[in-house]
Amino acid sequence: MLDATQILQSLVNGMGVGLIYGLVGIGFCVIYNASGIVNFAQGVFVMLGGMFTHTLLTRLGIPIILAAAIAIPLVAAAGVVVEFLIVRPMWNRGATLFAIILATLATQIMIERITILTLGDQPRTLNEFTAGGPLRIGGLAISYQIFWILGCGALLVGLLWLFFGRTRTGRALRACSQNREAAALLGVPVGRMLMIAFALSAALGAVAGILVTPTQYTAFNVGTPFGVYGFIAAIIGGFGSAGGALAGGILLGIFQALAIVTLGAGFKNVAALSMLLVVLLVFPNGLFAGLKGLLAGRSRSADAR
Amino acid sequence: MRLRVALAVSAAMFTIHAASAQEPIRIGSSVGLTGYSAATDRAWRDSLELAAEKLNAAGGLLGRKVEFVFEDNRSEPQEAVVGYRKMIANDKVVAVDSGCVSAGNAAAASSLVRAKVPMILCSILPPRPEEQKWAFSFLPPPRFESETRFRYLRDHTTIRKVGILHDPTPYAMMMRDLGIKVAQEFGIEVVTTESYKQDDADMSVQIGRINSAGAGAIVKMGQGGSTVTAAKNVKQLGLDKMLLMASLDDGVLFTQAGEILGEQFLFVAPGVQIPASIPAGPAREAADEFLNTWRAKFGDRDPNAGARAWDSFSVFARAVKEANSTDGEAVRSAMEKMSGVQGAVAKYNFSPDQHVGITENPFVLGVVRKGKFEVKRSGV
Repeated sequence: MLDATQILQSLVNGMGVGLIYGLVGIGFCVIYNASGIVNFAQGVFVMLGGMFTHTLLTRLGIPIILAAAIAIPLVAAAGVVVEFLIVRPMWNRGATLFAIILATLATQIMIERITILTLGDQPRTLNEFTAGGPLRIGGLAISYQIFWILGCGALLVGLLWLFFGRTRTGRALRACSQNREAAALLGVPVGRMLMIAFALSAALGAVAGILVTPTQYTAFNVGTPFGVYGFIAAIIGGFGSAGGALAGGILLGIFQALAIVTLGAGFKNVAALSMLLVVLLVFPNGLFAGLKGLLAGRSRSADAR
Repeated sequence: MRLRVALAVSAAMFTIHAASAQEPIRIGSSVGLTGYSAATDRAWRDSLELAAEKLNAAGGLLGRKVEFVFEDNRSEPQEAVVGYRKMIANDKVVAVDSGCVSAGNAAAASSLVRAKVPMILCSILPPRPEEQKWAFSFLPPPRFESETRFRYLRDHTTIRKVGILHDPTPYAMMMRDLGIKVAQEFGIEVVTTESYKQDDADMSVQIGRINSAGAGAIVKMGQGGSTVTAAKNVKQLGLDKMLLMASLDDGVLFTQAGEILGEQFLFVAPGVQIPASIPAGPAREAADEFLNTWRAKFGDRDPNAGARAWDSFSVFARAVKEANSTDGEAVRSAMEKMSGVQGAVAKYNFSPDQHVGITENPFVLGVVRKGKFEVKRSGV
């Protein structure tokens, strides 16, 4: 028999995991906006974030915060390498988007194999950033790491908002997302924007990986599920909208947690895909674009009356 | 002139014959080098290579070198079937010594039987009797794992209610059903069973439900990094009294889970994983022989899966010598006579009616203390 504490507990945990999906989803959107490419290698950046941090921590004895701070630019550099070696040559030769998207999928497999060969195949984990816990509120137990995830997630969203709204590079990226040809005619270096988009997207994935590893483990193959759920989050939010992807991720995480608590773990993926199907059937452009349209329609009809 | 020609022809024929005699004995191995079975199957592969290396250095088998043909099934049954077909048709393997992807081994079993290729397996036996006739399992019967955990709970704790947390693989679900039955024999009640997927980032919902059902211990059935996630979730939920009891697995995972939960984390292990638990005698000598070779090459890498692979090849090599042939039927028949063979993990007792070699429970219950594995002998 379900009680309120169980449901609240699942909401809290679902929100934490959902925020990670959201960050991965934003990564999808950043690259998609700059190029129209869906980067299926997005999940490996999550994996690399955790793996690099663990490696720096254990092999060089660097403190975790410093290790994380070094790992993020390293993963961003990996994103640039992917863009430079895989995407750009295909882009310059006029390859179709489908071919480039397929190439990103192959890139994911390749990076996983390289990770096995260089860092090994064994799962590993990181300690929670703040020892102790959990925080107890009534029957609820909230891990300190959840606060790190929520806090860093909120901080990142704020920083991204500032980046896209207040910086020239951010505005240039937004211009690319609206019309790449027009942006190029206005002097925006679209090629460089693509590289920046890959770096930013990889860095976001790395942050997600570093934040989530203390709550579970990381290994060469953990990126795939995060990539899949991040992709679903981005679609639910309306592919291309960073805020939508974040909200979509949180909704997805909560929905999955509720499905597990009410129906069982076997229904987790069924819940995710059902949610995706329903959203696409009702709002083909994503939940938030659809709701916005719905509200605008109502206000227009109210004005007409 | 004629004599010279005859000598030349004889020499050529002798050379061809000698080359044929030196043709290596090819043994196939379907292993999941990626996917859920990667940790176990990589160790399985590495240990087989190590065993073959040692045997070849000592002159080989029946005067011929042994050569392994490994096919990565990526822990997917469909991939395993493709690999097995290639090993039978192209590589002409005389036997297979395969990893722990049970569904893959079962899916290819009928093809192997038709080709008269004996199957030496890390996994459970394939389901059909005619396939079992050709298969020999080196996996301890699943019942032993459950017995070890429930015996500890009965004898050393006051916990009488447990929850089972399992993944959706056929093996884990079989373990779950068996576990429910075995628990009753030990006076333990399974109050709930919860499932998870191997790639779940969070299992706190399932663990919370097990806790709400009144369980004092989580009996986990399933391998891989999910054990670390479960340990993290137990800690995050602040379940200070809840025991997490893991299945047979790689020691790296045990170390990590043990660092998180301390004495709350217990795991099933064969003696070779905690060598100090093996009393002096033939069992200790066999374990030490393997461990010395293993550690010389792989250092402190966990020996669990590697030890069983080592044993599987040792028993197979002994059967080939006994049969004095690599013919499938002869080797199969010789394997059925391999009884009382002491290995690094256990003593193997195969017979025409017994194709699961381990017949005595080889497990102890382990705990991680200061990064080292020790036998858990008393209550929490």
